[in-house]
Amino acid sequence: MSVSFSKPGLFEPRRIGEMSPATKILLYSVLIGWSLFVIFPIYWLVITSFKTPATVNEGPFFIPFVDFQPSLHAWADLFIYDAADTFRAYFNSIVIAFSATALSVFVGSMAAYSLSRIEFAPNLITILYFVVLLVGAGVAIGVYGSDLWLTLAICVALFFLLARAVGRLYTVRLGNGDILFWIVSQRILAPIVVVVPIYMMFQSVRMLDTHIAIIITYAVVNLPIVVWLMFDFFNSIPRDLEESAQLDGATMIMTFREIVLPLSRTGLAATTLLVMIFSWNEYLFALFISTSKAQTLPILVAAMNAGERGILWWTMSVAIIIMIIPVVALAVVLQKYISKGLLVGAVKG
Amino acid sequence: MSSAKSISIREMNKFYGAFHALKDFSLEIDAGEFLVLLGPSGCGKSTALRMIAGLESISDGTLMIGDQDVTEVLPKYRDIAMVFQSYALYPHKTVGENIGFPLKVAKTPPAEMEAQIKAAAEQVELDHLLDRLPGQLSGGQRQRVALARAIVRRPSVFLMDEPLSNLDAKLRGNMRAELKHMQSTLGITTIYVTHDQIEAMTLAHRVAIMKDGVLQQLGTPKEVYSDPNNLFVAGFMGSPPMNFVDGDIKDGTFSGEGVAVPAPGLADASGVAMGFRPEDCQVVEAGKGKLDATVFTFEMTGDQTLVTFRFGNNPVVVKMPNDFEVAAKTQTGIDFDTATACFFAQSSGERLR
Repeated sequence: MSVSFSKPGLFEPRRIGEMSPATKILLYSVLIGWSLFVIFPIYWLVITSFKTPATVNEGPFFIPFVDFQPSLHAWADLFIYDAADTFRAYFNSIVIAFSATALSVFVGSMAAYSLSRIEFAPNLITILYFVVLLVGAGVAIGVYGSDLWLTLAICVALFFLLARAVGRLYTVRLGNGDILFWIVSQRILAPIVVVVPIYMMFQSVRMLDTHIAIIITYAVVNLPIVVWLMFDFFNSIPRDLEESAQLDGATMIMTFREIVLPLSRTGLAATTLLVMIFSWNEYLFALFISTSKAQTLPILVAAMNAGERGILWWTMSVAIIIMIIPVVALAVVLQKYISKGLLVGAVKG
Repeated sequence: MSSAKSISIREMNKFYGAFHALKDFSLEIDAGEFLVLLGPSGCGKSTALRMIAGLESISDGTLMIGDQDVTEVLPKYRDIAMVFQSYALYPHKTVGENIGFPLKVAKTPPAEMEAQIKAAAEQVELDHLLDRLPGQLSGGQRQRVALARAIVRRPSVFLMDEPLSNLDAKLRGNMRAELKHMQSTLGITTIYVTHDQIEAMTLAHRVAIMKDGVLQQLGTPKEVYSDPNNLFVAGFMGSPPMNFVDGDIKDGTFSGEGVAVPAPGLADASGVAMGFRPEDCQVVEAGKGKLDATVFTFEMTGDQTLVTFRFGNNPVVVKMPNDFEVAAKTQTGIDFDTATACFFAQSSGERLR
C-alpha cells in the first residue's frame, strides 16, 4: 500500500501547521479582527464602569491609566450608596429567572415527552364544551355574582354529562400534531398583546409586584419553546431503547431515569440555557407586573436611562457587568453538554 | 433462572383503526423450539412478535406463555428477552452496563451480577470489550452485545426481530451458525422474525410463513419447501423460486401450451398453475424433455449455473452444474421428474391435491 502526500485542494480543510505563512497571516488577522469586533463592546462596558461622570462626558477615552484615571466611583454608587436597591434587584432576578426556568423546563419537558410517546385523541366537541362552560362560569361569577363553588360544581357536572351524551355523536378528534401546534401557537402572539390582560388578572387576585406573579408569567411564556424544543429532542431518541428497557423489566420511572434522562441531557441543557437567558433579559412583563419589591435587573438598568440626573452610563455599565456574570457562568457550566450534543449526530453509526 | 416454556397463540388479532394487521393468528410453539416467522415486509410478522412481547396490545385472542395467560400482562412480567433489529443498545452505557441492565433492574447482588455479565460476555466472545461504549464497536460486536443482554437473564422465551439484517453477508453467515448453536445449547424457546428465507431454512425447527396478516403454512423447513400449501409459499421459498407453467387439468393430465404432464388423482380444473423446482429439472436436447423453450439468459454463480428460459409469459429457471454451458437463444428441452411437480388453482392459489 502506498501513502500519498498529495496536497489538499484550495478549499479543502487542512491543519494550521500545514498552511503557507501567507494563509496563516490572513487567517489569524481575520480571526483576531472578528474577536476584537465582538469583544470591544464588553471592553468598553468594563472601562466605562471605572470612569467618573466627567471622564465619560469628556470622552471617548479607551485606555485606562493613559487616557483617563480609573475610579471606583460608579461601583461605590451601586454597591454602597444604593446597595439595598441593587442587591434586591439582583436577588429578584436570580430567584425569578431560576424558578421560572426550572418550572417551565420541568413542566414543558414532561409535556413534550408525553406528546412524543403517547397518542392523544381528544374529541373536538369536548374541547368546545369545556371552553363554553369556562366562559359561562366566568361570566356567571364575575358579572352576575353567582356563588363560586356552586357554579364550578354545576359546570363540572354539565361538562361530564355533555361529554358522555353528545361526545359519541361528533367524533372529530384532534391528534398530537394539533396539540403541539396549539402549544407553539401560544408563542406566536406578541407579548405586548397580552400584557394588559395579565396585569388586570394579577391585579384582581392582588398579586402585582410579587415574585410568584412574574415567575408564573415567565414560565408560561417560555413553556411553548420548551415543549417545542424538547418534543423534537425526545422524538430523536429511538423508541426501541425504551421498549428494550421495558422488556428487561424496568418500570416506567426507571426507564425515564436510566435511559431517557441521560440521553436527553444535551437537549435539556440547551433548552435550559435558552429559557434562562429569555427570563433573565425579560423587560416588558417585569415592567408591568413589578413596581418596587419585585423589580428585576433589566428594570434597574433601564431606570438609569430615564432619571432626572440624565443617562448614568457609569452605573449602568456596572449593572450590566454584574448582570452578564450569572448567564456566562451558567453557559460555562452547561457548555460541555451542548458541545457534546452537537457531536452526537456527527458520529457515524 | 427459568426453564424454557411453550407458547400458545390462539386466534390473535390486531386492528389499527380499520386496518386489520393480523388475522386469526394461531400457533402452538413447543418448549425449546426455534420457530421462524417468515414473510415479506408488511405481512404482520413483526406485529405478531411485538404482540407476543407485549409492546403492542392484543386486539382480540389469547396468548399463553407456559400455562399462564399473558394476554393482558405487562412486558416485564412475561419473562421474555428481545433482540431488536436496531439492537437498541443504550448508547450512554458501556458494554458491561448494557449487558448487566436486566440484572440491575432485577436488583441482582453486585458480585453475582458481575459473574453473570462475564459469563454472558464470554459466551459471545466480548469479555475483552466490557468497558467500551456501543458507539466504539463494529456492527457485528453490537449484535453480540444485544445477544448477551438477552441471554444474561436466562429468560423463558427469546424474541428476535430480524437481528442479522444490519450485518454484511459474510458476518451474517457466521452469526447465523453461532445463533443456532447458542439456541440449541441454551434450549430457550425462540421466535425469530425474518424476511430472509435462507435464515429461516437454516435456523428453524419449524417455519411459519405469513402474508397480509394471515398464516399461510406452518411446517419444518423441508415441508414448506418441498410440499407448499399454496402458490404464495411455493413462490416465496427457494432461490431462485419455483417455476410456474399455466394450463388446465383434464382426465388426469395437466396440459398447457406446448406441455402435457400427468397429474394423477386430480379432479378436472381450469386455470391451473403447475410448479416445479429449478433444481428438479435438467436442460436436455430439444424435443426430448417435458417442454421446449428458448434460452433467455445464462448465469454463472460459481457453484452452479442458472439457465433462464422464456416459456409463454413465465420465466423458467433451471439449475445446472457449474460446468454446463449453453448459448443464448438456443432452443432446448427441459425435463423434470413429474412426481416433484405441484399443482395450484390460479384463482385461490390453493394447492390441488
